[in-house]
Amino acid sequence: MKNYAIRRILQMIPVLFGISVLIFVVMKLIPGDVISGILGVESTPELRAQLIAKYGLDKPYVVQYFNWVFGVLRGDFGESIRTSAPILPEILSRFKVTAELTILAAVISWIIALPLGIAAAVKRNSALDRFVRVFALIGVSVPGFALSILLILVLSLAFHYFPPLGYVGFFEDPLRNLQIMILPAAILGVTIAGSVMRMTRSSVLEVLRQDFVKTVRAKGASERVTIFRHVLRNALIPIVTLVGMQIGSLLGGAVIIEQIFSLPGLGQMTLTGINQRDYPVVQGCVLFIAFVYVIVNLITDLLYAYIDPRISYD
Amino acid sequence: MKKANKWLSLILVGILLIGVLAGCGDSSGTTTPATATPTESAAPASGGILRFGTDSEPTSFDPHTCSEEASLRVIHQLYETLVCYNSDMTITGQLAESWEIPDETTYIFHLRQGVKFHSGREMTADDVVYTFDRILGKTDAGDIGALGSKASYYGGIASITAEDTYTVKITLAEPNAAFLSSLTKTYGAIVDKDVVEANGDLSRADGGTGPFTLQEWLPDNYVTLTKFSDYWDAGRVKLDGITYYLIGDEAARLAALRTGEIDIANLSATNVTAAEAESNLKVISYQSNTYIALGCNLSTAALQDKNVRQAIDYAIDRQALINVVFDGKAVPCSMVPPAMGHWSLDVTDMDLYQYNLEKAQQLMQDAGYSDDNRLTLKVAAGLMDSIRQTAVVLQQQLAKIYIDLEITNLESAEYVDAWGKMSTPDAGFDMMIVSDGAGEDPNRSIAFFFGTGAAANVFGFSNARVDELCALGIATTDTAAREQYYNEAQEICIDDCTKICIASPTLYFVTSDKVSGFEPFASDISNFRDTSIAG
Repeated sequence: MKNYAIRRILQMIPVLFGISVLIFVVMKLIPGDVISGILGVESTPELRAQLIAKYGLDKPYVVQYFNWVFGVLRGDFGESIRTSAPILPEILSRFKVTAELTILAAVISWIIALPLGIAAAVKRNSALDRFVRVFALIGVSVPGFALSILLILVLSLAFHYFPPLGYVGFFEDPLRNLQIMILPAAILGVTIAGSVMRMTRSSVLEVLRQDFVKTVRAKGASERVTIFRHVLRNALIPIVTLVGMQIGSLLGGAVIIEQIFSLPGLGQMTLTGINQRDYPVVQGCVLFIAFVYVIVNLITDLLYAYIDPRISYD
Repeated sequence: MKKANKWLSLILVGILLIGVLAGCGDSSGTTTPATATPTESAAPASGGILRFGTDSEPTSFDPHTCSEEASLRVIHQLYETLVCYNSDMTITGQLAESWEIPDETTYIFHLRQGVKFHSGREMTADDVVYTFDRILGKTDAGDIGALGSKASYYGGIASITAEDTYTVKITLAEPNAAFLSSLTKTYGAIVDKDVVEANGDLSRADGGTGPFTLQEWLPDNYVTLTKFSDYWDAGRVKLDGITYYLIGDEAARLAALRTGEIDIANLSATNVTAAEAESNLKVISYQSNTYIALGCNLSTAALQDKNVRQAIDYAIDRQALINVVFDGKAVPCSMVPPAMGHWSLDVTDMDLYQYNLEKAQQLMQDAGYSDDNRLTLKVAAGLMDSIRQTAVVLQQQLAKIYIDLEITNLESAEYVDAWGKMSTPDAGFDMMIVSDGAGEDPNRSIAFFFGTGAAANVFGFSNARVDELCALGIATTDTAAREQYYNEAQEICIDDCTKICIASPTLYFVTSDKVSGFEPFASDISNFRDTSIAG
């Protein structure tokens, strides 16, 4: 297991290197540049040249790339061209918001999806099952932004409610923090619950059909023991895979939800960076997101061995 | 019973898990600076905290290098200029109590005494000299890329000296009638030398004399300002502070206004109708000095024909466009929109502003176009809703004169990039819809956007007479003579149709009915000195 983990971590190096090259090239290829954005109508060739030199954008691309990569290796992601703020501390502080949102959304989705998915499988073709299938379909099909705007409108018109403004960290004011986070987290949770519910239902159904379930029942185990101890455990692998992927992409920032609810998360930071062509910010964010994604994948893979002792990485 | 207990404990574990996991997310460092929590819920002691729902994120608070709307909103509270505009477009003293103009190139400003910077130090003539030295790149920091350093603003300053503690003498290299007007810009805000030197720049520092001080900035979330107790006109300022909350989505801004989470926000015309229906909201409108225009890339052969450009102008039904794009809340205008008062040319009766389809079709036919030989033009849009919608309306209107518009909506960085190339084939577009700010002085509206080779003259318009008129207009302070020069220049630019000015929108703030004393006008939309909030 340890060797496997080390091997996987080493494999991250070429992956992250590839991503760093890709994002650098893409940022150079897309039209528009940060200097035009900063200067706007005030742009003159002299001012442009001056800013280009200031940010080292006049150097050959290869030099720019390696300057950046060596900086990153030393833990220096550079400074934002727009705000002159150092990037890594900003990413880390944004990541806290995104991580909290992700965890809350994931937990909410499990609370909704796992019990309902299992129940739907156990009571197949019942009214509950049909409800679950419809709910799952809605969850999968309705985009988060539509649900967000709808909820904001309904809550403000019918209940005169709007989530509190001005982000505060969980440890500063837990209650206020949860008030701010709960609505976006619930919306994200509901939208991802759909696919988890579907996966749970079909995975549990599949396991229920296997012979060992008959054996377990024949031994006189109660239905609860059968489902939770034997069936669910065997059904978990595909669910964990799906959840791992969802968490990975949510940690990259739920861009639209963060924007609608004005959460200072990683997605919002990346989006602002892209719109302003703030190269170092976008490069830093994408690299960080890729890193998190790879780590989440690794954790998911390692979890398999715990869930199913038959899987061994040695 | 046993079963119920199990479920109960499961739920409890779930709730605990949420708490713990949520906590984990926060454990790797501090999120907000120590001063934290915007005082949104705190009961206002006297004037209260004004909560402003802003649509975009500021990037810097350095008045000399920053021109974005979201940043300017804050900079206007932190900094002040020597002179400023009244709502009737006359200039009045701000940090300067009075001034003399002994000859056309000499300006002597008598500074207000006892004005304190936010650091507590008194502002003197040395700070004014330092400010313009900084803008003109004459300090140790060298050229900081100050936006006001161009000739049209302060570049024409030949010398600036402190005559005594409270008197500053500015000598210009040549007469510049727009000089006082440019001093009203935040690009010329008077800054605290010590603060600049201690921080390197002002992007995150506060070196101003304004009524509010910068307290905290959580990027992509909020900026809090508190009242400056030593402000020179403190008796006038009623608010205890202002908090700017970023709410990018307009529907969310309206919802937040409705529920009282914010006190004021800017909304577009399309949402104003919904706000008007709410009993607890007030709509405040003002005529902007921006306008929407359709610019022609003169490197496109078909558009080099002035008749084709004029045909396009005749084929634009401005009122129909205004009804769709601005919900009827805009006025047809020249490049000097009506908000600029007497400088603006009345276009209502001008021939090119009358929708005339027959004439437009005739001009196009004369140029060789017909239903069988249609002209296809690529038009760049994007950036703002009004620009995108204008493109769609024009597409329909110009289809009647054998022109097929192919619209591309660009996102902001791409748009700005194409904008800079609009006089060359490199732009990749034959036309572009733009939204331009005309400024306060006609020199800005015309010389800056239509002068040969001028910075914002991206469509490559060039007319010797217009250049001559602009030179005459800037060289005299005789208002009547200037008005005559600029009127003639407007007429030439309108007739040429390289940049077809369409309409100048009315803009809106929506406030809660508790807010009073806020009266924005085009040159000053962020003045909260007289604003207060009831209980």
